[in-house]
Amino acid sequence: MNHRLPPADGEVLDRTKALTFTWNGKKLEGFEGDTITSALMANGHHIIGRSMKYHRPRGVLTADFWDPNTTVQVGDEPNVRASHRKLEAGMQVVAQNVWPSLSFDIKAANGLVGRFLTAGFYYKTFMKPAALWPRYEHVLAKFAPGGEVDLDTPHGRYDKRFAHPDVVVAGGGPAGLSAAIAAAEAGSSVMLVEHEHHVGGHLLWGTEEDRARVADLTAAALAAGVEILTNSTVTGRYEDNWIAILQRNHPGVVERLIKARAKTLVVAAGTIERPYVFEGNDLPGVMTSGAVRRLITMYGVKPGKQAVVFSANESGEAAIDDLRRAGVSIARVVDALTGERIVSTKGSKKRVKEVLLEDGAKIKCDLVVTAVGWTTPTSLLNMAGDRPVYDADAARFFPSGAPDNVLATGGMVGDGSLDDLIEHGRVTGELAAGRAAVVRHRLQVATARAETVDEAEPGYLADERTPLDRWPHPELFRASTHGIVDYSEDVSSKDLYSAAAEGFDSVELIKRFTTATMGPSQGKLETVNTVAVLAQARGDSIGDVGTTVWRPPYAPISLGALAGRINEPTRLSVIQPWHEANGATPILAGQWVRPDHYGDPLSEVRNTRENVGIIDVTPLGKLDLQGPDVANLLSLLYTNKWMQLPIGSVRYGIMCAEDGVVLDDGVTARLDEEHYLMTTTSSGAARIWSWIEMWLQTERPEWQVHVTPVTTGLTSINIAGPKSRALLGRLTDIDLDNEAFPYMRVRQGLIAGIEQCIAWRIGFTGELSYEIHVPSGHGLAVWERLLAEGADLGVKPFGLEAQRIMRLEKGHFIVGQDTDGLSKAPVTGLDPLLKFDKDDWAGLPEVRWSLESGDHPVIVACQPDDRSIVPEEAAQILRSGTTEIVGRITSSRMSPTLERSICLAQVSKEFADAGTSLEVLLVDGRRITATVIEHHAHFDPEGERLRG
Amino acid sequence: MLLVPCPNCGPRNAADLSYNGESRPRPDPQTCSPEEWRTYLYLRDNPSGWLVESWYCSSGCRKHFTIERHTLTGELRTPILPGSKPGATKGSTK
Amino acid sequence: MASSITHIEPMPKASVRAAADTNAAAALGLTFGSAERRGDTLVVRIRPDEWYLLGDGAAPMVHGLDLTGYASTVDITHARHAVRVTGSHAAETLAKLCSADFGDAMTPNGAAWGNSIAGVTCDLVRDDHNGERSYLLLFDGSFASYVLRTLEDAAAEF
Repeated sequence: MNHRLPPADGEVLDRTKALTFTWNGKKLEGFEGDTITSALMANGHHIIGRSMKYHRPRGVLTADFWDPNTTVQVGDEPNVRASHRKLEAGMQVVAQNVWPSLSFDIKAANGLVGRFLTAGFYYKTFMKPAALWPRYEHVLAKFAPGGEVDLDTPHGRYDKRFAHPDVVVAGGGPAGLSAAIAAAEAGSSVMLVEHEHHVGGHLLWGTEEDRARVADLTAAALAAGVEILTNSTVTGRYEDNWIAILQRNHPGVVERLIKARAKTLVVAAGTIERPYVFEGNDLPGVMTSGAVRRLITMYGVKPGKQAVVFSANESGEAAIDDLRRAGVSIARVVDALTGERIVSTKGSKKRVKEVLLEDGAKIKCDLVVTAVGWTTPTSLLNMAGDRPVYDADAARFFPSGAPDNVLATGGMVGDGSLDDLIEHGRVTGELAAGRAAVVRHRLQVATARAETVDEAEPGYLADERTPLDRWPHPELFRASTHGIVDYSEDVSSKDLYSAAAEGFDSVELIKRFTTATMGPSQGKLETVNTVAVLAQARGDSIGDVGTTVWRPPYAPISLGALAGRINEPTRLSVIQPWHEANGATPILAGQWVRPDHYGDPLSEVRNTRENVGIIDVTPLGKLDLQGPDVANLLSLLYTNKWMQLPIGSVRYGIMCAEDGVVLDDGVTARLDEEHYLMTTTSSGAARIWSWIEMWLQTERPEWQVHVTPVTTGLTSINIAGPKSRALLGRLTDIDLDNEAFPYMRVRQGLIAGIEQCIAWRIGFTGELSYEIHVPSGHGLAVWERLLAEGADLGVKPFGLEAQRIMRLEKGHFIVGQDTDGLSKAPVTGLDPLLKFDKDDWAGLPEVRWSLESGDHPVIVACQPDDRSIVPEEAAQILRSGTTEIVGRITSSRMSPTLERSICLAQVSKEFADAGTSLEVLLVDGRRITATVIEHHAHFDPEGERLRG
Repeated sequence: MLLVPCPNCGPRNAADLSYNGESRPRPDPQTCSPEEWRTYLYLRDNPSGWLVESWYCSSGCRKHFTIERHTLTGELRTPILPGSKPGATKGSTK
Repeated sequence: MASSITHIEPMPKASVRAAADTNAAAALGLTFGSAERRGDTLVVRIRPDEWYLLGDGAAPMVHGLDLTGYASTVDITHARHAVRVTGSHAAETLAKLCSADFGDAMTPNGAAWGNSIAGVTCDLVRDDHNGERSYLLLFDGSFASYVLRTLEDAAAEF
């Protein structure tokens, strides 16, 4: 039989362009304009896949985006909807979920034990013995549907954009087109989104007049300036009409996600034809009237030889006309309107062969066409808060109450002639534009940076649209036999009855227990049948059973589209090009790229302690504080005292959160009467800035303090080591003599000829050191000058790793490393910094209570007795000989200075005294011992090197 | 995504701001009991109804403000400027 | 015509913070969210109580301000970096990275506001240039190479 029909008006094919492709390795031909499904069917291949659970052979059911049976693998792309995806030359199409082949699928043995694979079998089988779960998983994985993923697939380009249309119209059928035109002509910016490849909706498989109408409407839409997006889906409507649109055909990208803030949303999603539930309803050759009309009219495909048509409406009648035109013989028309019914069908595995009618007749056929009614796809309206209401006379749900900025039109809200639908769309578009104009006005008036508005606000239009009629339709959901309800999930009406009998009798429970409506079509084809069957099982009405809640996405969305361009902000110091050029191994510290070391961190440590080293510490958080109340602010946020800090002095402080947990630490310098420079940890910079603004604005609005982040504005370089004074002295006019510039002081002056530089003496590494801050436009030049000037002094750069080793040698804890999210201030052991004779400071009450109870761990320094063993950070400390955890190692390194391993740890107070032996459990299971030392510092505990 | 009515900038996407949660008064740390303090730290009224909540326009004008939002319907009342506090007792949001 | 994306550094910049009742606020004026050129300085009221002074005239202008009262200034020449995006596709390029409405009504010439560009907090000013649509972006300078790279990637399709 020749399955391709002669050319005819209305087809979307370009027969001058033949395209070659393969199907399971076999070479076939189709035309440009074919979908993969229509090309397969034109070549006589009507079995396109196998069902998920039972591996039943499946053919076309709806021949459109929602077809549940035609999911294939194309090249390296799994889960392609063959009834939507257009054929391209060279495509390698393969059936999914089959082994060894589509025609002989061993896994179809599932069918033989179908009775044991009822709904909920996931929860009941493969449970015991639990020890075999890895085996079950291995076996079950082979039966999981969903195609093959090639891990070497090249990354596609996905991106995003934002949009601010006045009106978004979801659905490009006649009502949607008409609404878009009217809204645009009324002055709105309009985006029309249609998920099929062409606008026109059901007119595309209608008459010649229908198609002419599509052309007229399309031309009018373009003339009015409507932005038309085809092969795109409105996937979600969120608060305040935040709309997600997935665009699948933008050139240069695989998919684009448009995030639109629409002022009004018009939903014109039409209706979706419902399948009929009966025994054998998933046999290849059973399809909806719409499928037949699309295949014949749009794709020139003859769907069978001999048809039985079960019809309750005009679509069935139109399908009969189309079938006759295509030369398909009509063996019988089963007229639902006169009470005729089909009971079941029979077939071989490959095709339907016979239909049994209620009157006892058995009709031979290879095609069964059903036209039993329509489902209203209200999901987008539901996302806006609408709860659909069932109308038994019309046999479908209707929307019943979306917010004012969401309007529905077209087949979703009623029936009528084409002119009726277009008229309803038109008045809806006007209403949408009118309401959008009010929102536009209000947004502009309310937005500070916007153009001032001279006109008065337009009046808010009331909804005075004449509702469309609702034509009566028989309720046809299930025959007298059981059949498949959810084709994607292989859920039958029998499964639903069983589930209801087991007590899963609410619609939300039965959905989750059986997985009905949870497949790729997300209920578009099966929700109403599910609800109807459940109602039958319960002896209730459909209205009483109700529906489940629809959530985004409206249609499945790829992870690539959600991810878009992976934009991960990174921050660089101005010295970074030098680091890169000079062999630095980079490390990502928060958003900053920093040099971890330049090849040998241990030698960097030695050189800094023996000569002089320089490190780029630009990411150190720096905040410029000005105003008469800065000292008050410092007093409030730090635990210690700040009211008497002299100009020119630097002080260290720790900050706590309101729960007493250590939030951050750093030094703050007083540069002038009302001018201070605060430092924070580099990862805390943004957080502390926000913290300060929160206190100033919400708790102390009467204080006058201006805070400006200058982390990036100042390049910070720490010059450390015994020769640091000598080195800096060569570049600055600041008097570096120890009397003139002692430890914990700040000075300002020229460095390398640059004005407005700041230098202070602090001691993170434990060496004599000067931390200089220069305007970062000059940062690289100063760095290079230091290296040039200090060559004879042995200056070398050192990186983060060397700095960490040195600070550990000095026992300086790092917030977030040696403290954690439960460490209140007393854990640090810095009790002298906790001042309770201040009025109020962040963390005060909890810190006081913690000290009073004494029940908190403390940071100690310890040294493994075997000096060669470096315990892993986070290694547990146990009460000797037991498994009771009493602490953990928080920092751990090999010290080149002491030639032994050194650690900081948190331990219960009981274990904190100097000399205590700690039992450390290493990751490999060994237990070693370490001894607590007297100070936190392993090296130079008196700090003599610092203060010289 | 919620459009938050920043009193300075105008309506902005919630992603442009930081959400600080339910507003509640801070007890006096010198005189309160541990129970009062921890109620302030960890417990929220979480009403089904009108809620006074605090936002920070972190990407925009960098000002804190409070708004009243109905947690069921999403309706908003006009924004309150910073410094004005909700009623003294937690029960006032009912 | 593709958009041009230029990193404009060094550009002198100052931030002036001033409460509404100060002489500095009166002298700088402008409504919140707007900018205007005065000589060779672009004055931007970027926050209700903060102005940016951008350009060669920034330092002299700051010098001439009366900062008595609750007013202060910080030199942000190096702290914030400026990038200018100009051309017929400038708004479309930015609309791939920023959620603001770039239409003429919501963002007229002279509009100024803070937003996020591809995850980086950024101040924007619409500052049309020789009749062409143009936007000045100001953000923490350490993000400069990331911002440029991201803008160029977004502009590539035009």
